[in-house]
Amino acid sequence: MRYPKSGWVLGVATVSAFLAFGVASWDANAAPSPKPTAAVEQPTVSHPDPGPAPSAGIGQDALTGNELARARTLAETATLKAGGKDVTGAAGVEYLSAGIAEDGAGRTAELYYYDYHGNRLVKQVVDLAGGKLAGSYAATGMQLPPSEREVRTALGLLLANPLAAELKNAYAKATGQAYTGQELTPTAHIYHALPADTGASQCGRNRCLRLIVQTQDGHILDLDKIIVDLSGRTVARLT
Amino acid sequence: MGTGMSYRKAAAAVAVVLSVPSLVAGLSPAAAQAAPPVSCLSSAIVKETLPNGTTWEMCWHMDGRAGLVLDKVYFSAKRSPTPTQVLASIRLGQLNVPYDSGETEFNDLTDYGFGDGNLQTLTGDDCKGGSVRTGSDGGPEGTRRAVLCVSAEPAGLAYRLNDGDPDTPKVYSKQGYDLVLRSISKVGWYEYVSEYRFGDSGEITARLGATGDLSPGDYVKADDGWPIGKGAKDYAAMHYHNAFWRVDFNIGGAGNEKVEQYDTKVNGRGTMGAKLTTTKTAIAKEGTFTTANRRWWRLVSSTSKNADGHLRSYQLVTGANDVYEAHPETTPDVTFTQANPCEKFATGNADPQCPAAKTILDFAKNKETMTDPIMWVRVGFHHVPRDEDQSPMPLHWQGFDLLPRDFTAINPAAPDGRENVDGQPTF
Repeated sequence: MRYPKSGWVLGVATVSAFLAFGVASWDANAAPSPKPTAAVEQPTVSHPDPGPAPSAGIGQDALTGNELARARTLAETATLKAGGKDVTGAAGVEYLSAGIAEDGAGRTAELYYYDYHGNRLVKQVVDLAGGKLAGSYAATGMQLPPSEREVRTALGLLLANPLAAELKNAYAKATGQAYTGQELTPTAHIYHALPADTGASQCGRNRCLRLIVQTQDGHILDLDKIIVDLSGRTVARLT
Repeated sequence: MGTGMSYRKAAAAVAVVLSVPSLVAGLSPAAAQAAPPVSCLSSAIVKETLPNGTTWEMCWHMDGRAGLVLDKVYFSAKRSPTPTQVLASIRLGQLNVPYDSGETEFNDLTDYGFGDGNLQTLTGDDCKGGSVRTGSDGGPEGTRRAVLCVSAEPAGLAYRLNDGDPDTPKVYSKQGYDLVLRSISKVGWYEYVSEYRFGDSGEITARLGATGDLSPGDYVKADDGWPIGKGAKDYAAMHYHNAFWRVDFNIGGAGNEKVEQYDTKVNGRGTMGAKLTTTKTAIAKEGTFTTANRRWWRLVSSTSKNADGHLRSYQLVTGANDVYEAHPETTPDVTFTQANPCEKFATGNADPQCPAAKTILDFAKNKETMTDPIMWVRVGFHHVPRDEDQSPMPLHWQGFDLLPRDFTAINPAAPDGRENVDGQPTF
């Protein structure tokens, strides 16, 4: 006997919930706008002011600009640079990235570098509070995502290589114009050789990139088969 | 959340086991826990209270490879007001994208990175109705950008109960809300949404959404693709999104969680129907595991108890999941390993400090006894492109839920009138 009454109560609750959702999600475009029901719960979140850039972080906070600069000063020792080469072939090592150590005590930064001479990935562990280098590790056959300078260098190597003809053809096809040095926006990812690769089988031991190049008017050039070997400063075409 | 039905099934099945002595051992009240210490800069704190009084508090930062990382996640609610830690951290652990042709394969976290330049500055409707937070993009220069969206979103009907009172029946019916954190990373043509939803009853959903565009270079022969565009000449390549998450619990701030697996099997017949028996298997050592019907795992605190004297835990709830058995490392559904700062990514791990630790299989190989278990959850989605995927591609999602089990003594958001319902009612 009570069933119909309960059903009616549920009906009211459902309708008011529906109206509340409608108000929240329809924004100002809703017309005619239903009158907001009194005491409707509206989910809200705070809008804190981000404030100025912090000088230092706490706990697992991202490394700040100041901390990154200090960590690099501590990490980039004479030992690190000795005998190494950066992506341009100059003496030293290539700075790749840095992050806060997971589960680290205090503020511990991990900085990664690539030595193109020895094809080594180097991790420098920096104790920011103690102001000292806490550890240094290196291994071959390991690759981290490329830095912006590495991506630009890879595009430069491609443009200076006979395989640039492929980029130029793709540019002309996409834009209807000849490529005469117009600005290009490259991104890239690490390429690891697959078992059947010809021409790029060294990739993985060597640091190789596959480029995605965008034209100024937004066209993306298909360069999927082109592999730039930054270690060998060569360009290959996958077959 | 997404797999609500499986919660209820699991809850009903395990009711059988609640008389197992180990589950009710110790009846001391919940140890009071201090409010969360200030563990990050105020600009990196997300602390929001949902309409039912539930508060989630956590720190966030971006990592160059992993993208969004949530640290030190605390929960409190109307009926459970002391902030209590749930997670030490949660983040993605890899996104492996092999194409069915066998010609192409990407590892989007470790070969591209979800942070740095690939992390998108939020704009348009990316964070409609929410609050956009600014912080480092995780790149080598620590550039500060608007990269995190924090919003509160309706989650549907939270509960409904007609109390059946013969004189004045009362219906408890309430809309639920989620606190939602999301960031967007553009990797090639795809754009990925890293999303974490914190429910107002303590559930957590981790999921990855994919949108953007199909890869324009990946059109293949008919066997490996689906014809999109006019007629049947352009076959967009079928491929996988094998996502991994790295989940580090710190339940009640006490650490030292134990891993348990539960299985329920048909075991003869009772007087009316099939008899089902639920058994617990302790997982003390590192290893890889696969899902099975009615199988689930939980991480249970060794010491932290709710007000009923039950050890607090969180349960892994998996849903839709395509296994990519072509790689041994993408075959297990969940892998438990002892925490090790060297072991950062589920595959493509590249830390010169531990060069032999390349995948979760290497991490788990020595079957170390776990005192601080890390849960690596893999969820695969085999993407068969369709006409509607262009363009932009409507978001498709993959992920899992973390369900509180005995984290609080009753529904932490119980309405007035239900706060004393705890255990079998007396008649």
